[in-house]
Amino acid sequence: MGKKRKHSEAEAATREKKEEEVAPERPKRTLSGWKEKKDDQVNQTESTTFFRNKEKVLVTCSRRISYRYRHLMLNVVDLLPHCKKDNKVESKSSNGATLNELVDLKSCSSCMFFECRKGKDLYLWMSKCPNGPSVKFLVNAVHTMEELKLTGNHLKGSRPILTFSSNFDKDAHWKLLKEMITQIFGIPKEHRKSKPYHDHVFVFSIVDDHIWFRNYQISVPHNESDKIARGGLDKMTLVEVGPRFCLNPIKIFGGSFGGPTLYENPFYISPNQIRALEKKKKAGHYVKKVKAKTRRKMHELDNPLEADEFSEMWKE
Amino acid sequence: MGVSNKESRQFNEDSMEEDDLEDVSEPESEPESEDEEDVKLTEPSKKAIFNRDGLLDKLGDISWPENAGWVHKLSVDIDQEQQVDVNDDLTRELAFYTQAVEGTRKAFEKLQSMGLPFLRPEDYYAEMVKTDSHMERVKSRLLVEKKKIEEADERRKARDAKKLSKEIQAQKLKERAKQKKEDIESVKKWRKQRQQSGFAGGDKGSELDLAFEDGKPFEKSSNKRPGVAPGDRSGGKARQGVKVGKKPKKRDIKDSKFGYGGRKGSKKQNMAETTNDLRGFNKDSLSGNKKRKR
Repeated sequence: MGKKRKHSEAEAATREKKEEEVAPERPKRTLSGWKEKKDDQVNQTESTTFFRNKEKVLVTCSRRISYRYRHLMLNVVDLLPHCKKDNKVESKSSNGATLNELVDLKSCSSCMFFECRKGKDLYLWMSKCPNGPSVKFLVNAVHTMEELKLTGNHLKGSRPILTFSSNFDKDAHWKLLKEMITQIFGIPKEHRKSKPYHDHVFVFSIVDDHIWFRNYQISVPHNESDKIARGGLDKMTLVEVGPRFCLNPIKIFGGSFGGPTLYENPFYISPNQIRALEKKKKAGHYVKKVKAKTRRKMHELDNPLEADEFSEMWKE
Repeated sequence: MGVSNKESRQFNEDSMEEDDLEDVSEPESEPESEDEEDVKLTEPSKKAIFNRDGLLDKLGDISWPENAGWVHKLSVDIDQEQQVDVNDDLTRELAFYTQAVEGTRKAFEKLQSMGLPFLRPEDYYAEMVKTDSHMERVKSRLLVEKKKIEEADERRKARDAKKLSKEIQAQKLKERAKQKKEDIESVKKWRKQRQQSGFAGGDKGSELDLAFEDGKPFEKSSNKRPGVAPGDRSGGKARQGVKVGKKPKKRDIKDSKFGYGGRKGSKKQNMAETTNDLRGFNKDSLSGNKKRKR
């Protein structure tokens, strides 16, 4: 057993090496300036005829994640057959380097990291790993698949259809996010765990500068034959499967888990700040009272009462 | 996470500055607190970094070669016709739903043209995302909900039926009373007509027979006298004798002494004469109570 494992490890290592060898070539063929170089283009067409999506996503979370968010992560793992789930990572020490190392170790090309802070705020990192960009989201409005009101169900590992709302093409950062999402959430064609049918749809929609995620099952009334009749498509209904969540992009970094900031959400307020402000509002009561008291005292000192003319009357 | 720390600090700085500004302008009230209820800043902060070139550069870096083919992506863009209000759950979800539906239509057409399989055939069984036990629970919950709705419906129906029947009953009673009134009226009319036409008093027997038509429908037989108990053989005479007979003499004396009828209050009060009048007191008892002496 041990021997075998070693062997496989060695193999993996060699594969990694190979990938490393290939890696420097990559930017050449995908850089935006490739159009001018004719010979490069020829190379590229040759390579793209065999284009093969080898995306592999590492999914982990930080320690002390709350159960709800953990379930969300597990749902994501269920939805993506091309992902690898890893152990929890210590939140404090999870600076970019360790995570990058981990991703490299698992030979993944991208990573989703669920970071839970204070047991209530969930941040999601999406990162293209060797040298791609990374995004940090704040996750809101989480509903997991286990909730009973979501009645749909679909094949595990069937490739989803990704639908994007048109406002993803509005700005550069949305474009980048769209590309990253398609790469991470799109299941590679002919992946060994994927199934050849399409029975669910992912919805990514930008509303109110947040990315909303929904997952629907496609259900068509089956006729006797396997083929869907032309009328069948009109009768098609969608049933929600879940999970639901809403991503609020905070920052986009140039490197993976770090690097120069390329984008910063100008509207973002951290939940900590919101809570602090709320607390401050509540704390104002006492301060106000004390202030009023001191003001009264000062007022009394400034305007002393006149001595009563009758006060000495009975004292003789 | 060094970056994020920095970022949070930066945000804190922002907020501090804002607070200062607020303090200068309006030292007493705190109007900014209501704005903070919303999760967003009301206006974009000016410090925010937006490196468009860098973003596009990265996009070029990571994107797949252009002729990778749609089959690899399976992504569809859908136009969102109008702005969706985020806080209106129903319209928002509807927007997502329509987006998904349109997306599937488009994708289906594309896949169809490529000759690729789309939906799973009915006899293709494989592991599903949600387990059977989970779906069982979902189903049971749906059933329970359905049952609840049905029960509520039934209850409502019963209530409605009861209300309706009550109304019908009232209507019936009213109608019956009306009918009766009409009948009596018609008979009266008929009799008047008969009187006018010269039959008045001509036929007394018949009139007596129809006495009940005058509005007092049934009179009990006159055998029964008022104030007589049903079992009284004497016809109430035994009691009458006691009642009407003369007052005994003793009663008269007592009445003159203690009074009879009228208000008692004024009689019982002391007046000037009565207070000085000691006639009623026994002189012997003044000398002392014998029992007490002992």
